[in-house]
Amino acid sequence: MAFISIRGLRRRYVMGEVIVKALDGVDLEVEEGEFLCLMGPSGSGKSTLLNLLGGLDSPDEGSIVVNGQEITKLDQNGLSLYRQRQIGYIFQSFNLIATMTTLQNVEFPMMFSGVSRPDRRRRATEALIKVGLGDRIRHRPTELSGGQQQRVAVARGLINNPTILLGDEPTGNLDSKMSEEILNMLVEVNRNGQTLVVVTHDPRVSGYAGRIIHMLDGRIVSDDGKH
Amino acid sequence: MRLLDLVTLVLSNLNRMRGRVVMTAMGVVIGTSAIVVLIALSTGLKQQTVDNFSSFGTLNQITVFSRSRFGGSSDEDTVSLTPEIIKEISQIEGVVAVTPYEQFSGQTTLRLNRMQGFGSLYGIDPSVVPYMGFELAEGDALLSRNTVIIGASVGDGFSEVTTSTRSTSGGGDRGGPGGNRNGGMPPGGGGIEGMLFGMGGGRSEEESTEEESTLDLYGRTLLLDMTRSNDGETDTRTVRLRVGSVLESTGGNEDYNIYMSMGDLESLVTWSNGKRPTWNSSGYTQLLVIAEQDAQITLDVTKEITDRGFNAMSTTSVVESLSSTFSLIQAVLGGIASIALLVAAIGIANTMVMAVLERTREIGLMKAIGARNRDILSVFITEATAIGLLGGLMGVLIGAGVAQIVDLFAAGYLSSSGSEASSVVVIPLWLPVFAIGFSMFIGMAAGIYPAFRAVQLDPVNALKYE
Repeated sequence: MAFISIRGLRRRYVMGEVIVKALDGVDLEVEEGEFLCLMGPSGSGKSTLLNLLGGLDSPDEGSIVVNGQEITKLDQNGLSLYRQRQIGYIFQSFNLIATMTTLQNVEFPMMFSGVSRPDRRRRATEALIKVGLGDRIRHRPTELSGGQQQRVAVARGLINNPTILLGDEPTGNLDSKMSEEILNMLVEVNRNGQTLVVVTHDPRVSGYAGRIIHMLDGRIVSDDGKH
Repeated sequence: MRLLDLVTLVLSNLNRMRGRVVMTAMGVVIGTSAIVVLIALSTGLKQQTVDNFSSFGTLNQITVFSRSRFGGSSDEDTVSLTPEIIKEISQIEGVVAVTPYEQFSGQTTLRLNRMQGFGSLYGIDPSVVPYMGFELAEGDALLSRNTVIIGASVGDGFSEVTTSTRSTSGGGDRGGPGGNRNGGMPPGGGGIEGMLFGMGGGRSEEESTEEESTLDLYGRTLLLDMTRSNDGETDTRTVRLRVGSVLESTGGNEDYNIYMSMGDLESLVTWSNGKRPTWNSSGYTQLLVIAEQDAQITLDVTKEITDRGFNAMSTTSVVESLSSTFSLIQAVLGGIASIALLVAAIGIANTMVMAVLERTREIGLMKAIGARNRDILSVFITEATAIGLLGGLMGVLIGAGVAQIVDLFAAGYLSSSGSEASSVVVIPLWLPVFAIGFSMFIGMAAGIYPAFRAVQLDPVNALKYE
């Protein structure tokens, strides 16, 4: 069985009186260590698929098995633990907490996984050094550039050693130079064996990805890596 | 999530909205300080009243009357306090001793040289003297033939008399003519307001023209002049009484008592009435029952005697009922103050709902990075509890301060009105603990709803929230 195995996934939303089929029967298999890019116009269902894969949302039908664990059968607590141990997130708008320093932001996920304070400090500092922000650990996010903020977010996303790193338009708010920086970082992460699933509109991102999937109206319309 | 991390996170979250936290906590401060002040005040008043009552009359003594004395329905219902009844009562568990407590009701005057005095004459069983709780100033506390034990104030009442004879009468007024002197407590009820604020000052002015002196009567022999009327003829007899012991002052009206043996009293009564008293058949007027030194035992014995058809009263039962009345007052005042805390709770809930709204994205992020529902619950409930704690701490401090100011004013008022300046405000140890605990509880309860709102947020939408 593949590392990630998605079968017959359906997700509907009710918006007013209209039922929107965000996902309309998606099947997908992803191997460990792949760099997967989900593309498609707005409303094609790529973000929904990402959220379901990240355990932030639950499908109406279908199943997702990650690393042998069927996450679509997990309860709220199980999903929290799944997110904590298997998933790292990077968002378009960084989602850093403005009142915390970069160090505290990177430490934050470890607070919920019960890592001791000295260990957190050490690991967060190392992660920030790795993303080239060793001299910015006491800064607040507002004192950093967009690229730097996203680097902090990458450090945060990787801090619990997740098996899958999910990116929702990670370069959406960045200029081309900064996007390049982040993409190089993601490639580096991928080289170390981490599975990457990135939703994007950005053609540059797809250039770095090993596999590109196009979606439309809640279905996969093309998959250049389909075995 | 570790406790230390939770506390750190909560403190940093409160710090970001410190302005609102302080304003919200002010509501708790007002409620808590009101609780502290009102309960401290009612506790102080309760304690003073109970102390004042306890100071006169020994707590383990029970006075027993036959029912008819207080208007029993008919003679047949009346059970007389005969020697058999004494024997019966002394069998009750917890009773240490029982004695008749008979007051001499004839006309008497005490004399010593050219001075006259007064005192209430009581006959008691000499064998119970050790149990009477007498504190001796002088003497050996023995009652023997024509030897008496006198209260501390009997000697104060002696004065040089030039003209008419003053009489000391018994008959119900236990205080005797000097009942209102030296702030002595009025007998049997009345004057609660005096008790509330210590002993009411003012010496009676009406007798101030007489020359008075405090006499040490210990070892002296007093002459007791008795008068009886027989068919219009007045007859006088004088009995010599040696003062064998003088008691320490209790501050109560028993300071004017003169205790003699029942044998001595019987001979006085026999002469005064012209016949022997019929105590064996018609019973004594009252009995004094001494119970074990324990409030509950005293109450149990009092109840047992009452159940047997007598009127039984003890200072303990008075203190007990006063104490429960004050507890009720305390509860009512505490309840009123608690309303302020309830209002404060709404304030806390409001602040926390706003916090949840403002931090929607952050809550979404917390969920995305693996925070469990119980982590999010504990963050918000702990924040609300901390606001309660902060308000509680400040409220206790401010409340204690206000209570001290009230005490200062009350002390000033009391000393200007001539009373002893004692504390009207008492903060028992449980009060600050309770007040802080209660305000924390209020905060926690107020945090439950906002915390559940936070937990129920859909993480996908929360992360998109602007």
